[in-house]
Amino acid sequence: MKVIIVGAGAIGAHLADLFSKIRQDIIVIDEDQEKLERIQADSDLMTIRSSANTPIQSLKDAHVNRADLFIAVTRDENLNLSLCVLAKSMGARQTVAKVENAELSDPQIIDAFRAAGISSIIDPDNLAALDIVNGLKLTWARQRWDVHGGLLTLLGIKVRESCKILGHPFKEIFKPDSPYHVVAIKRNNLTIMPSGDDRLLPGDFVYFMTTRDYVPNMRIIMGKDNYPDVKNVFIVGGGKTAVRVVNMLTHDVKAKIFESDPRRCEELIDLVDTSHVMVINADGRSVANLMEENIKAAQAFVALTGNAEANILACLTAKQLGVRKTIAMIENLDYMDIAGNVDIGTIINKQALTASHIYQMLLDGDVRNMRNLMIVNADVAEFTARPGSRIIRKKVGELDFPSEAELGGLVRDGKGVLVNGETQILPGDIVVVFCHGIEMSRIEKFFI
Amino acid sequence: MLNKRLICKILGTLLWIEAAFMSLSLVLALLYMEGDAMGFALTVGITILAGTVLRLMGRHATNTLSRRDAYLLVAVVWIAFATFGMLPFLIGGYIGHVTDAFFETMSGLTTTGATIIDQVEGLPHGILFWRSLTQWIGGLGIVFFTIAIIPSFVGGSIKVFAAEATGPIKSKMHPRLTTTAKALWGIYLLLTALCAICFWIFGMSPFDAVNYSMTVTATGGFATHDASTGYFNNVAIDYTAIVFMFFSGVSFALLYASLFQGKAKQLFKNAEFRFYTALTLTATAVIVYFLLRYNHYTVSDAIRYALFQVVSFITTTGMFNEDAAQWHHITWVVLSLCMFFGGCAGSTAGGFKCARGVIALKILRNEVRRMVHPKALLPVKVNNTSVHTPSQIKLLAFFIAYITLCFTAYFIMILAGVDSTNSITIALSCGSNVGPTLGLEIGPTMSWSILPPLVKWILSGLMLMGRLEIFTVLVILSPSFWKNN
Repeated sequence: MKVIIVGAGAIGAHLADLFSKIRQDIIVIDEDQEKLERIQADSDLMTIRSSANTPIQSLKDAHVNRADLFIAVTRDENLNLSLCVLAKSMGARQTVAKVENAELSDPQIIDAFRAAGISSIIDPDNLAALDIVNGLKLTWARQRWDVHGGLLTLLGIKVRESCKILGHPFKEIFKPDSPYHVVAIKRNNLTIMPSGDDRLLPGDFVYFMTTRDYVPNMRIIMGKDNYPDVKNVFIVGGGKTAVRVVNMLTHDVKAKIFESDPRRCEELIDLVDTSHVMVINADGRSVANLMEENIKAAQAFVALTGNAEANILACLTAKQLGVRKTIAMIENLDYMDIAGNVDIGTIINKQALTASHIYQMLLDGDVRNMRNLMIVNADVAEFTARPGSRIIRKKVGELDFPSEAELGGLVRDGKGVLVNGETQILPGDIVVVFCHGIEMSRIEKFFI
Repeated sequence: MLNKRLICKILGTLLWIEAAFMSLSLVLALLYMEGDAMGFALTVGITILAGTVLRLMGRHATNTLSRRDAYLLVAVVWIAFATFGMLPFLIGGYIGHVTDAFFETMSGLTTTGATIIDQVEGLPHGILFWRSLTQWIGGLGIVFFTIAIIPSFVGGSIKVFAAEATGPIKSKMHPRLTTTAKALWGIYLLLTALCAICFWIFGMSPFDAVNYSMTVTATGGFATHDASTGYFNNVAIDYTAIVFMFFSGVSFALLYASLFQGKAKQLFKNAEFRFYTALTLTATAVIVYFLLRYNHYTVSDAIRYALFQVVSFITTTGMFNEDAAQWHHITWVVLSLCMFFGGCAGSTAGGFKCARGVIALKILRNEVRRMVHPKALLPVKVNNTSVHTPSQIKLLAFFIAYITLCFTAYFIMILAGVDSTNSITIALSCGSNVGPTLGLEIGPTMSWSILPPLVKWILSGLMLMGRLEIFTVLVILSPSFWKNN
């Protein structure tokens, strides 16, 4: 499969890295030679340097007529859109454009774009806002991912002393019919694919696979039943993402946006619904300001300024002041590990979100959903078991399945079921696989 | 930290591949039954055993190769290939001493083509074939070969490619390295096959045709006769060799584009190719003049010998059809210049590379211009893309390293008592992987057996550094490479 990526910024570079790992033919086009050289040094791909005057020539050089997927992720949304239209007319099969404007990502106008030759629209702010709103609904978990429309649920949770299953080996806790599984543990920057002798320790970041109905019980097992629901949320930084977030919140949730720029505040009050959102012209990193607005009453704190360090510090401050749920937006992928360790709660990274969203589009129709879980550095994917594939020949426990991968659960006849050693996978089952440090193609072989 | 397990694993696999190549020689040895079969059989056994042991040591290796690992891997692979490759010479007793055997093999793998064997004609066919084959394997690079046939075997193959490929600009013709590697090896095979067929048509025996074609397209220069191609004294063979040497010195990526992607015009627009052609023609013209003026050749002979010698030196092949030691001394200077520049980047040729030559000359021109226009922004443009300042600095650093290396070798050889003209041409010849030397003591047609052992070891190292373009080896010798930071 041939993929052309225009724009070697953070999103483009992350995508190029993801695609080159699954051995696709990738061409990255950018104006900046240095960025291209950096990408080329680490990944197996070809780069083409374009100049602002010759975007079409560089598309020709890249043989866009033979491209299966054309992705435009430059900073300029108009350029992205026009490049996609051009690429489509020159013969690219599928095109994806990144946009910034909320109006452009409205699902209702996608048909207009399709008619013009743009297959999909990606809006990083929208993806980030969705993730944040989902996080606010679930105060006690760091990450929640609903697989296959919510039939199965993947939860990322930080383990505290109050956890009920702390210290017990998994073989004692988990019976074949347990309603939840541990699929991965992150401990001291290392990812562990658990075996029967492993156990949970305080400070671990653990991924559970469970069914939707059992999610409330998980809260009790993890000892987090005293975490309150979010009724008041503090948001620091009144950027585009913040506006998206408050507009997605239901009206029973009150939000306060801290923005230090008075002019931006003026704009904000026109952009948000002031009946439940209050715009405050103050620096949200200052303890005095937070106290004045009564942070004790807030159940969640979201830091969305453009500065990753400021966001981390603001979240730490909020934690000190007693807020249980904190969410920080971090643009720099290098900070991910540190941010996970210093205990600032959920982390949102627009680049990674966007990249994994596009990545998911590329993967074979049989892989329905794919998400890069940043903290564990692992991938989750859904596969459909085909008739005659290796996965259905034996029971799961007897399969020679790579140890770097874990079968989480499956969806059969519209019901989510967890997988254990005794499970026999049947053709047509949709299987959720959690894998770490292994090429997806090795897993794919079992399902073809 | 170095991923030693992975290096062991990859090295083990590569040794198996070397054993596979040796088996070809073994088959030949068995066909001719000249007493060298035993040596090959033993070597194949030892190499497979070593490969297996290394693979066992590399079990459960994580498949991530850092930049450091890549440099170390490439250097170690080349040394290991030379170490195992010398065994057939030693076991069979065709070369008496380890020093000589290692030198001979390294000279083969690096496509240098300098030999310490005084009389190659008496050697069995299997050994002769193995000598030629070492050059052919080394031509495009050992690890690069493996990338083409076993795509998944190196996790960081892109880094290995960067460590082994030649030239300042590492261009890819296809988004994926494996496909690129296959295309380049395809070109290489095609050139070799065409060359062998031409040689055969013009009167060589099939065995000679195959051997010469391998060493010509690898721009190596090992011959199966003491007099090299001079043995045949055949105009058609000389010109065939000239054509194939010349094209083996052109960037294979460029050849591929002009042959298979319908971009023949690109070839003549390419700055490096033009420089390469111009240099060849100028050098030939100068030598023709001196041959006519002082050596009283006929015009057709002068052109034939001059062109052959120039192409042989500029592509760093080092074959000969005439004893250049008899020529005027100025021709030696011209030939040394050819040796220094070498062929195009991305070919099998060695040397400083014409691409670097073009850029270096443009930098020089810019500096002169800057004296007059101190505030002018002067770009260094090659094929309409400007070369960035960091790349320019890297190129100049390479130049300095190259010169320093050659002079160090020159100095040591003078201390060891080698004749001065010989010393400088030997140093250049090894650094550029050419093969013959020019001088009074050892002529271009003679073997290097009289050199002292220490010098031979130094030259072996010099050849390796020349082939891997110095920095890959130099970085391993630097203390900071081994520090854990």
